[in-house]
Amino acid sequence: MRITKYIITSPESNILPSDVAMKIYGSGKDVRVKETCFGVMVDGEEDVVDSLIKEVRAMDPHGIFIKSRGFPPGDPRRCRSRRGGGPRPGYFMMECESKAMPLVSRALACEERGESVPEAAPQKAPISTEKLIEFIKDEFS
Amino acid sequence: MVKVIVFPPTSTILADMVERMGHTPLVMSGEIRKKVNTPSLESPPLNITPEDPKKGLRYAAVDVPSGIRGRMSMIGPMIDEAEAALVVKDGNCLVGCTGCARTNELARLLIKVKGIPQIELKYPTSDAEARRFVHDIRTFLEGLR
Amino acid sequence: MIRIAQLSCGAEYSGVQRELEKAAEAVGARLIFPEVALDDVLNVESRFGIEVPSGDLNLAMARATRLVENPDLADAVFVCTCFRCAEGAIVRGEVRRFIHSHSRLPVLTYSFTERTTSDTLLTRMEALVTTAKMKGLLAREKQTGLTAGIDSGSTTTKAVIMRDNEIIGTGWVPTTEVLKSADAALEAALSEAKVKREELEGIGTTGYGRFLVGKHVNARLMQEEITVNSKGAVFLADAQRGAATVIDIGGMDNKAISVQDGIPGGFTMGGICAGASGRFLELTARRLGVNITELGKLALKGFHENVTMNSYCIVFGTQSLVNSLSKGSRPEDVAMAACHSVAEQVFEQQLQEVEVKQPVIMVGGTSLIEGLPKAMENLLGLPVIVPRYAQYIGAVGAALLVSGLLEG
Repeated sequence: MRITKYIITSPESNILPSDVAMKIYGSGKDVRVKETCFGVMVDGEEDVVDSLIKEVRAMDPHGIFIKSRGFPPGDPRRCRSRRGGGPRPGYFMMECESKAMPLVSRALACEERGESVPEAAPQKAPISTEKLIEFIKDEFS
Repeated sequence: MVKVIVFPPTSTILADMVERMGHTPLVMSGEIRKKVNTPSLESPPLNITPEDPKKGLRYAAVDVPSGIRGRMSMIGPMIDEAEAALVVKDGNCLVGCTGCARTNELARLLIKVKGIPQIELKYPTSDAEARRFVHDIRTFLEGLR
Repeated sequence: MIRIAQLSCGAEYSGVQRELEKAAEAVGARLIFPEVALDDVLNVESRFGIEVPSGDLNLAMARATRLVENPDLADAVFVCTCFRCAEGAIVRGEVRRFIHSHSRLPVLTYSFTERTTSDTLLTRMEALVTTAKMKGLLAREKQTGLTAGIDSGSTTTKAVIMRDNEIIGTGWVPTTEVLKSADAALEAALSEAKVKREELEGIGTTGYGRFLVGKHVNARLMQEEITVNSKGAVFLADAQRGAATVIDIGGMDNKAISVQDGIPGGFTMGGICAGASGRFLELTARRLGVNITELGKLALKGFHENVTMNSYCIVFGTQSLVNSLSKGSRPEDVAMAACHSVAEQVFEQQLQEVEVKQPVIMVGGTSLIEGLPKAMENLLGLPVIVPRYAQYIGAVGAALLVSGLLEG
């Protein structure tokens, strides 16, 4: 079965989308590659794509994230220029998540090193009514 | 190897975490791929036809808006297939397949009452939160084997 | 190619996106999705005023803010959400108001179900495109030369002959066979005007049968009823400058149009509902044993509060009226209750979706049933004008607009 996957590089990774693209071209595997500013889209037979992804992950195990894509690359049904402008909605989600990627990358690295997990911050409880009344009186005195 | 539904089902980070741990993430793109690769449907952009909200009747009644039933016709089967769940409640910028708050609420309810192993988290906003986030997910996914 | 910006939630997932695009294509337009950045969506509250739980609605509001900043992005706007979604309905209304108050872009709103087809949307899309494309023609205030207009409606066919901005002949027949009725109405108008068909410089057609009749009479203009009727209405009511609201309750459906300087802005068309149209009043008149032309005067002597109406539906509504009569209610009260029921349904549904501004002009054959405009006045708390020739607004509008096509 033909599948399409995004190989997304974390904004703080040393690996650039162009590095990933070069690696894939260099592999000589029968896949279609499309470079974007946030990563690379790979399209091909499932087993070929999955084995390629294993190799690519090794370039930065904690800084590369894989996302499956429903549409093949350049599909006109989702193409920006054909749809009269505007990215497809999924793009906003990826853009949003890319902000959290550096945090997750660093956390993955710490997890692999077996570092201890920091304690959760204490739960914030609402302030008592009496205290609030005190503050109000203070403010308006 | 366990089938883990991630919520939001469009999340890169959650699906990636599931795959890293050797499990199968159940994600929206799988359903979309089935739809867009069926040329006879001819209903761009996603090839969702008026039949799909009817399929969604399995999860929501007829007086529930059609957009919810249409989305559920794709998310519902994923929930049916799921053996575990990874849920983040407070996703921001949920648009498109996750762009309907009512659908998201219904999906989370159906996941909750299914009784499968599940974990509910918040997206991290700091390094400490990210550490706990990754650790909790890893522990949960390892426990599924 | 007219660009219609689509601001929607749920269309792709209801399986109706294809139908929306078909309807746009059929009227020579294209649906586009104004580009927004992630920040626009995340900060929608500061720019639009509110953020809601559903992301797609936030996206629609973000697109609205973009459109208002760059009105050149599109020629018209189509705002649509799922039927029965409260969040969607509220945002839809606010987006319409927002665009209306910050720009001159014509806006169409609609709530769809999975059953919505392109045919349902065609007239609305056509009106939207006309409003965007033919501003020059729609701005026309006077009829010139010798022209005719034919309004081929579902229940009646009307025709007028106009010369030098005056109505010189009218014709009105029940619609049986579309083309025969059109010919009959036109002949009646020509006869009254004492002109021959060959002397006419141009004919315009409107109504359900506009294309069929238009081809038959070689019409220069075949235009949907929203733009044509609103044009005819403001002409007849002498309200071509400034704001106006046109309420057109026809034999089978109803429309509400907000007009600015003679050009329609927002409009809504009710779905086919016998209970919100002349059909209900016809049935009531028959049940009361009076001619439809007498129903209005009868209603003016009645009080709707004396009759309990349990439903707007023509079937259950008629049942309510019959029950009241059997309990001894006065025919005057029953007549007024029927008028009130129709007016109230239009008030609650259509008139909440357009900007209601004075003068409020009621048109169509039903506006001649005096109880109906009176009921609408009571509901709106505003005076309602029924101009002379109110039943001919379509034909008048068509005759006026076609004269604009003759010059140059």
